[in-house]
Amino acid sequence: MILFDFDYERADTLEQAVALLARLQGDARALAGGTDLLPGMRMENIRPGLLVSLSGIEPEAPQVLADGSIRIDALTRLATLENSELVRRVVPMLAQSAHVVGGNQIRQMGTLGGNLCQEVRCLHLDQKHDYQFVAPCYKRGGTCCYPFPRNAPEVCWSVYMSDIAPALIALNAQVEILGETGTRRIDVEALFTGNGLKPLALSQAELLRAVLIPAAAPGFTWGFHKSTVRGGLEFGMAVLAVALQLAEDGRTCTDARIVVGAVREGPVRPVAAERSLIGKTLDEERMEQAAADTSRVVNPLPHHGFSKRHLMDNIRVHLRRTLARALQRARDQEAGR
Amino acid sequence: MSELNYVGKSVKRKDGPDKVTGKAVYTQDVRLPNTLIGRILRSPHPHARILRIDTSRARALPGVKAVITVEDTKGIKHGFVETPRYPPDQEVLARGKVVHVGEEIAALAAVDQITAQKALGLIDIEWEILPAVFEPEDAMRPGAPEIHPNHPKAPREFANIGGTTETQWGDIEKGFAESDYVREDRFECQLRTHGYLEPHVTLAHWESDKLNVWTSSMGVFVKRAKLAKVLDLPYSSVRIHKTYVGGTFGGKIDLYSHEYCASRLSMITGRPVQITASREEIFSAYRHAQPLILEIKTGVKKDGTLVAQRIRAINNAGAFRGSGVVVIFLAWGFTMIPYRIPNLKYEGFSVYTNHTVRAPQRGHGAPKVRFAIESQMDMIAEALGIDPITIRMRNAREPGEQLPNGDNTHRGGLAACVALAAEKSDFLAKVGRDRASPPKGTLRRGIGIGASAYMGGTLIYPNGSAVIVKMNDDGSAIVLTGAIDIGQGSETVISQIVAEELSIGMDDVKIISSDTDTTPQDIGAWISGMTYVTGNAARQAAGRAREKLLQVASEKMGAEVENLVLKDKMVYHRLNPELKMSYREVIAASVATHRGDTIIGEGFWRTMRDEPTHPSLATTKGRWTENYAFSAQVAEVEVDIETGEARLVKALTVHDCGFPINPQLVKGQVDGQISMALGHAFMEEVLTKDGYTLNPNWLDYRMPTIHNMAISEDADVITEQYRVGQPYRTKEVGEGLISGILAAMGNAVYDATGVRLYSTPFSAEKILAGLRALEYAAKKVRSASKAPA
Ligand SMILES: Cc1cc2nc3c(=O)[nH]c(=O)nc-3n(C[C@@H](O)[C@@H](O)[C@H](O)COP(=O)(O)OP(=O)(O)OC[C@H]3O[C@@H](n4cnc5c(N)ncnc54)[C@H](O)[C@@H]3O)c2cc1C
Ligand code: SF4
Repeated sequence: MILFDFDYERADTLEQAVALLARLQGDARALAGGTDLLPGMRMENIRPGLLVSLSGIEPEAPQVLADGSIRIDALTRLATLENSELVRRVVPMLAQSAHVVGGNQIRQMGTLGGNLCQEVRCLHLDQKHDYQFVAPCYKRGGTCCYPFPRNAPEVCWSVYMSDIAPALIALNAQVEILGETGTRRIDVEALFTGNGLKPLALSQAELLRAVLIPAAAPGFTWGFHKSTVRGGLEFGMAVLAVALQLAEDGRTCTDARIVVGAVREGPVRPVAAERSLIGKTLDEERMEQAAADTSRVVNPLPHHGFSKRHLMDNIRVHLRRTLARALQRARDQEAGR
Repeated sequence: MSELNYVGKSVKRKDGPDKVTGKAVYTQDVRLPNTLIGRILRSPHPHARILRIDTSRARALPGVKAVITVEDTKGIKHGFVETPRYPPDQEVLARGKVVHVGEEIAALAAVDQITAQKALGLIDIEWEILPAVFEPEDAMRPGAPEIHPNHPKAPREFANIGGTTETQWGDIEKGFAESDYVREDRFECQLRTHGYLEPHVTLAHWESDKLNVWTSSMGVFVKRAKLAKVLDLPYSSVRIHKTYVGGTFGGKIDLYSHEYCASRLSMITGRPVQITASREEIFSAYRHAQPLILEIKTGVKKDGTLVAQRIRAINNAGAFRGSGVVVIFLAWGFTMIPYRIPNLKYEGFSVYTNHTVRAPQRGHGAPKVRFAIESQMDMIAEALGIDPITIRMRNAREPGEQLPNGDNTHRGGLAACVALAAEKSDFLAKVGRDRASPPKGTLRRGIGIGASAYMGGTLIYPNGSAVIVKMNDDGSAIVLTGAIDIGQGSETVISQIVAEELSIGMDDVKIISSDTDTTPQDIGAWISGMTYVTGNAARQAAGRAREKLLQVASEKMGAEVENLVLKDKMVYHRLNPELKMSYREVIAASVATHRGDTIIGEGFWRTMRDEPTHPSLATTKGRWTENYAFSAQVAEVEVDIETGEARLVKALTVHDCGFPINPQLVKGQVDGQISMALGHAFMEEVLTKDGYTLNPNWLDYRMPTIHNMAISEDADVITEQYRVGQPYRTKEVGEGLISGILAAMGNAVYDATGVRLYSTPFSAEKILAGLRALEYAAKKVRSASKAPA
């Protein structure tokens, strides 16, 4: 139950929503599926004076544009993403990453835009503060950090746990952002600041309108893995997304994008590890090395009871397997052709 | 004896249709006009003195109808245990100091949630922070912060001891001296919680001289006794009403502060008051299970025969006595039941720490004790070069054995369970397979066994159950029972028994249950005795009604009772089926010729009718029960040796529940316990730091979902039977089956990987660390053997 008063408006268009958000400045929030925002309000981590509901705006169906890229409305429900025949065919990694989010009820309500714009998580943050952790931490505008007491006030080591963001970054996707002065387009990767206190590079009156994913070139293959304890209905302990471009021989890598999510303030790309694969034959050893390098440079934050060492172990093994699976997928596709 | 029609059959649950259609009324669904919302102010500190409480600003807030602190109570204490040695130790609201985070300090009633929340923020408290202690071994040390004074009978060299249990027999030192092999190990368990889906919720309504209470519980008569006591009201002024209950698993037995607060606030305001605990409150302020530390030293002969065992159990009992002193008593019992141990010394310590108070949780210590003992059993077997089955068979109790406390295993026994489990799982063919010849890839299979035993229906207030069966004049029956159906199916089982005894249909039996004013006293659903104790009371009550029916029919039909048979609400003459009467006719005749007797039967039952009281918690002297259930369980697990991720693939449970009155309900209990045990083994942990709970929600506290459930097979070892008109003996089946399988999973992980785990949960991290240690040790051996001589 949300135990404070707030106003509620329903926008008919995204433009209207932006205008409403702009008018109230810092005190208004967009409400999409509410699966992230409402728990945050219940815990009083955020206390907006106005909710601008987007639920009256019908999302456009996913569509393939003339250049072969696919455009997906930010208001698309995750259940639609995972079940859309088009999405599953054209961007299966996106469908897969939507499928592993929460449970079915969450996916029925949650939207793509809300997923990308979800709050960072920390055990000390994600609860009511009636009698536990009462003094606000940095993230809540206070003067302490519970798990990392030596951190400077501008450092919040909470983790950003969207399952979909790593997949989109690996896919080199862009977001279309609507603001008061019109739309702008940035890489999904650029949406994340890496700062736990303000994880998104969006201003108060900006909303995501759509996600655009470039067409896959021949030789494209992918791998996705979410590490969990019980295999579902939980946030990841680490999320791995891999997109590879293979030469005609099916073994030489011409481009690689690796993204690790859920272990830092935003998704992380281990650029050096990616580079170590490019122009090389992807054999066991090389993939093993890239995975080991990644687990090191990503430097996971201990979170949700998992130690840094264990997260590094987990990323190392599962990233190697995810790379191998991507390669295998390419082979299977080749064989199936 | 003729065929049974209902008992022994998997008849449909009585409560099933209402539950699946959403018609069942739970406490939260009960609505009364003008109900106020109650909220509780809780401690933000693990240990602190309250120098001053000022509630005046909260009282002044419009919409706030009452605020109470300990000054508004009668100061009457309560406790899970209330005996001369362990007098009640807890007040309903904190007095002078708080001893755990979330402890109840004040309560208020307001017109709505938002007002109540605002008012909580207006209560001012001045604190003096005290040093706190969280680990029991730290708390035991002299000089540790004193949470409560040491128990007067506890050894002087310790601090913060809430209670002790000590017992021994034989000569332990001589036993170890005579042993061929002795080993000592230490085991630990994580903090786990019950995970009932329905939160704690209470609605109280004071009507001039009667307090009406609806509350989610496991036994209404215990609740009434404790609530009446702290409110200083006669039992007749407190009525606990029936509601459906959405799970308890031990977490709703004792009196909880919110039940008192809702009642008191209703008495003050004259309006109904409802208090619902949030899930976060349940996780961070309510009661969890008890993490035990177990140190075990065991001596055996070369052939694996147990000679001596010394056990030291340390319970992190939280900030009040709670059921902490019960667990250290029970831990002794869970040690001595399954195997013969000629020389034993046991000591248990219940230690106060600045954690929330503890409650029983399904198995009440048994899973932890059996995990420890059964793990060590396998280590001993391996050291001696014998297999896990042989060592267990060698020590397992047989039927008819006398236990050290004077109880008898009667027709039960562990040996038959172990033998059947080994056979059904093909244990000896599978054990050691993957380590002897590791398969390709990173997945390893392992198999393990664990054994356990559990008692049923031990004496504790109110000790006995009574049941009344009233015949309706159409031949159907109303059953009045205090038994509470918390999902285990007691109403179904009682109906089956009544239908069987009276030869009427399941639909002819209607149950009025768990209402302290209208139903007779009952032991409650928390000492594993309802099917046995209340069931026998129901059998007797229905039996008395049947005898009356037969008597009247015999008079009317001019036939001997022996020549009459009952079938489908009719009385027939055995030799002349033409001679018959319907129940309707018999009951009319009874009213006409037996001074208006409408035919009512009464029954009552308790365990151990010759024992005056329960055994001593401190010395273990005294008998427990006539009903011991034994079980052996086999787990097959799969471990990824690269990631450490492990899961239960298959469980086999061989148990002796006497006989299943409803096999499907027994199966439900078995499966539920397998699921709980695998949560214990691989997923669940309440994470705390300095007494604060880090994961007070379902997302971050991971209980298994249906997708995590393993294949669960089971087999009954039937040792008893049911005959109409005769007492029967059923045994525990609802909480003893977490233990063997938990131990079996630990043993199976070892079988798969060679990694021995001394603590639960068996996390990927621990398994990986174990594998690394093995690798390191192997390398050292290799390099040592390579070194030049
Ligand atoms: C039980 C549970 C389990 C979960 N498990 C997972 C999981 O496994 N993986 C995972 O990734 N997530 C998980 N989540 C988070 C879940 O909330 C998101 O996945 C979901 O997609 C959020 O979408 P929404 O539409 O409900 O967002 P909302 O709650 O409506 O919004 C979230 C935030 O985004 C903002 N916002 C919404 N739409 C836009 C937009 N178009 N442009 C800009 N800002 C916007 C809102 O203002 C708000 O700040 C879980 C949540 C719960 C409650
Ligand atoms: S990591 Fe961030 S959210 Fe967590 S306690 Fe520190 S400042 Fe707060």
